[in-house]
Amino acid sequence: MAKPSPASTPVSRRVSRRQFLGAAAGGAAGLGGILAAGRAPAVAQTKELTFLTIASFVPDTDKELKRQLDEWGAKNKVKVRLDIIAHLQLVTKKASEVQARSGHDLTALGAGLGDADLYFDHLVDLNDVAADVAPKNGGWLNENDYLIRGKWKLLPWWMPPFPMAVRTDLLEQIGEKNPDTWEDWLRVGKKGKAIGHPLGIAIGHTGDANVTLLSILWSYGGSYVGKDGTTITINSKQTRQALDYVKRLYTEAMDPEVIAWDDASNNRCLNAGKCIAIHNPISAYESAKKDKVTIPGKAREIAEVIDHVNTPKGPVDRRTTTGYWCVGIWNFSKNVELAKDFLRYHFQPENQAKWVEAGHGFNMPFLANLTKHPVYKSDKQYRFIPEIAKVTVPPSWPGPTTAASQQVLDLYIIPDMFAQHATGKMSADQAIAWAEKEMQEIYAGRRRKV
Amino acid sequence: MSSAPRWLRRSRPVFTLYMPTLPFVLFALFPLYFMFVTSFKTNAELYDVNSVPFWIGRGVTFGHYQLLSNDTFFWSWFVNSLMVSVAASAISVVLGVLAAYPLARLKFPGAESFGVAIFITYLVPPSLLFLPLSTVVNRLGLSDSLWSLVVTYPTFLVPFCTWLLMGYFRTVPKEIEECAMLDGCNRLQTLIRILLPVAVPGVICAALFAFTLSWNEFLYALVFVSPAELKTLTVGVFSELIRGDIYYWGGLMAGACIGSFPIVIAYVFFLDYYVSGLTAGAVK
Repeated sequence: MAKPSPASTPVSRRVSRRQFLGAAAGGAAGLGGILAAGRAPAVAQTKELTFLTIASFVPDTDKELKRQLDEWGAKNKVKVRLDIIAHLQLVTKKASEVQARSGHDLTALGAGLGDADLYFDHLVDLNDVAADVAPKNGGWLNENDYLIRGKWKLLPWWMPPFPMAVRTDLLEQIGEKNPDTWEDWLRVGKKGKAIGHPLGIAIGHTGDANVTLLSILWSYGGSYVGKDGTTITINSKQTRQALDYVKRLYTEAMDPEVIAWDDASNNRCLNAGKCIAIHNPISAYESAKKDKVTIPGKAREIAEVIDHVNTPKGPVDRRTTTGYWCVGIWNFSKNVELAKDFLRYHFQPENQAKWVEAGHGFNMPFLANLTKHPVYKSDKQYRFIPEIAKVTVPPSWPGPTTAASQQVLDLYIIPDMFAQHATGKMSADQAIAWAEKEMQEIYAGRRRKV
Repeated sequence: MSSAPRWLRRSRPVFTLYMPTLPFVLFALFPLYFMFVTSFKTNAELYDVNSVPFWIGRGVTFGHYQLLSNDTFFWSWFVNSLMVSVAASAISVVLGVLAAYPLARLKFPGAESFGVAIFITYLVPPSLLFLPLSTVVNRLGLSDSLWSLVVTYPTFLVPFCTWLLMGYFRTVPKEIEECAMLDGCNRLQTLIRILLPVAVPGVICAALFAFTLSWNEFLYALVFVSPAELKTLTVGVFSELIRGDIYYWGGLMAGACIGSFPIVIAYVFFLDYYVSGLTAGAVK
């Protein structure tokens, strides 16, 4: 039969309005059916364990984690997938997975233990896993810190302790030796700034600013929330002293750029040969070593003249905090038991040891035995890391970690308070009053939600 | 009548055209130049505060491009971005044409306010929409697939294309369509055979914009797709080359350089259409 010419069949090529509406309605009904069913069409259902984590500051850590996940998957005949995102993206990703009640089985949580409170109703209880893991690794460092509302809603995974990273050649040049207190570092910063090498402490909206400024607040005897987790304690004589100290640090020992710094800025300042010292984990040193960065105008590598010393002591205390990176299991996961099994595997002493070694000591677990890992003796740069871990507390210290304490961190109330006074925009009393009001509203708001 | 010397007439464009536009050209090209130069510098030079940031002082390195090619899924990300952008743009332009035509041509109650409402939906930020859309994507079973992006990108592309094409269609004289209808065309035939050939600049302009918006999109690509090999360029480069407080500046710049090529090429080929498409609707 001859193929009909288009001109001979004008009607057959037309789609009537009725046909079009019918087809559209059919399509919409199909789509609506899928949406109403609330589940995806079962194209292929295989057992797969998925793990969402953040890109490690030391890339070899991710490789070792992947190796362990693959090894566990092969042993248990489970398909595995490790997805890695930048740490700044984790907040968005968590929110969307909880909203959709679908996503990864295991997820990194943090920075901070507050996720356990924020996502309390969406995380699986890990009491059994925490109890299994602890005895094999010499116990948890500070067990009570990690319990949220009395439950293990996450396992504290790793922290990067915060030493002072210092240029030893510049220290020698200004005639300073073994600075240990915050006052010592102010003196070092003043002398350093005079020769073009200021101190580098971020006072902007960055995690590093939260860490260092809380360290200073505590070292002067201050805190922002009481042990009861509800009383705001920021309005104190000690806070005023800490504010005055940071103002001197900012005006006499640093450049104004620290107000606008992000997490990478202090690393860059040290490795570029500008800063005499920064308060930061060992990542700056690691990247300087890897990239063979040299001292400006010299052939000598800058990593050779960087040293890491203890986190500074204040008039009252030596105390600091850091990013508490944790791991949890979503309760909408279809593989809760598999996920728990992998956690038990990953937290076996030998696997933890390999993982810490891969991270060159950057990722310190919250397990007592791991603080004595040989990696901390392999390089003199790491010698203070275990000491610093002992004085590292959650950011809400002495109060418990709650969704409100996490919000105080996430909104950078502490750095803003210090910045407003340091830059002269507010007096100490005004800055404290501002921070107190913000914190009271946050804590009251969270109480209303509960 | 005396005329200006020949040399003066020849050199006049230098002063009246090229020199006045030169600062704008330099301003526009500087980011590209800076990305390009930075992508070939060694890390040691990138850290050196004494080095001049505008040119390469300590030798060229291809290390950052090697890092992208050998240690990441960069080329997969590139292809993913291309596929998603082309598919989402094509769908959005087709839907945009079908929506813009009745809004521009047919008279029905609420046509004007409906047009405004479509544009307002474009103004709803993705940072609000990504949460409900995650539920939709999950229920459709499209999580962790490029289809999730092909389906969600039109949520912001269709309103934009519709709005842009409405403006363009209104510049085309109604009379030529009416002639076609007198000759026996129905509405759809009029649209396809008469209006669209005349409105090619507008359609290309909408397609270019849709492609650019899709290519640059970040949030939906981050939220709806997790496997490393399925990421788009924007998310992949950001995920792999920003590791906490360590930024791989050379790699980031290399990724941005390569990532900007498709957009540059698209605009170079269709610049004339783009300009006329944008400006035609402006005077109606």
